[in-house]
Amino acid sequence: MNPTLSGVPVEYYLGLASILFSIGVLGVLVRKNAVVIFMSVELILNSVNLVFVTFSKALATISGEVIVFFVMAIAAAEAAVGLALVIAIFRQKKSSNVDELQNLRW
Amino acid sequence: MILELNFETILFLALGSITVLTAISVVLQKNPVISAISLVFTFFSLAGVYGLMGAIFIATMQVLVYAGAIMVLVVFVLMLLSQRGDQLVNFYERPFRVLGLFFLVFSFALALSQSLLTGIPRSLEITKGVAKTDQSSAYQYPIQGDTGEIAKGNVASVGASTYLDYALPFEMISILLLIAVIGAVILAKKKLIPQEEIKDNTL
Repeated sequence: MNPTLSGVPVEYYLGLASILFSIGVLGVLVRKNAVVIFMSVELILNSVNLVFVTFSKALATISGEVIVFFVMAIAAAEAAVGLALVIAIFRQKKSSNVDELQNLRW
Repeated sequence: MILELNFETILFLALGSITVLTAISVVLQKNPVISAISLVFTFFSLAGVYGLMGAIFIATMQVLVYAGAIMVLVVFVLMLLSQRGDQLVNFYERPFRVLGLFFLVFSFALALSQSLLTGIPRSLEITKGVAKTDQSSAYQYPIQGDTGEIAKGNVASVGASTYLDYALPFEMISILLLIAVIGAVILAKKKLIPQEEIKDNTL
């Protein structure tokens, strides 16, 4: 395992990924706007991608980068379906605030 | 650990701090449009980090898929939801702010191109960038078959691994994307038939 990637230690990349993941989780928990929550989920996916690429480079195996490609495809599918859901809900409720969605409550 | 300040570490620290700051801005900004713009900068600086590592294919995909396609989708939905469009500032009323923003974006683009130049392995050792050492040659992917061909370089290795080792997941991804597109259209389209005329006995 390479201790550095292009002269930068591997721990720095992993630290950046963990900071990004924490910020994304914070956004999902704190924000009320559905679109901003969606963007925070994208941040989380990006941090996981960063970990994949880091270990792919550090271990000198190419599989991690292929899996990042698949994660990007799934993120695109999630973007399409999620934003369509937001539009469908906005058409009914005239709001994209997730606190006002209480239809499934009992 | 003593921080060794070489050129790559400075690039990484610059791009990483831009990533973290813009990610915090995504979460904390009140206007969702500014959050979206900050997210574009987060994606670009992450692409710079990928380029610094030498993952050229992933850096390209990051810019194309995330900063291109997904962000266009997000901004389009924000436009449809029409939230606080009146808060957008007319930038031309503040020339110094425009100049400062231009300078920031220009230096950001400079850092991005430098990180890409650092990450790409060069055959000549005198040029800037990582020389072709054991690290770059470790990614040469053997293409199976009678020819004994070897995929050299990052993009060729990723392509060979995708279509040889991960061919079945690749095809399944295409089906998933097709289903997602159909589902998005069905979810987002207006109901063309009035509600009274629907007589569905199955529900």
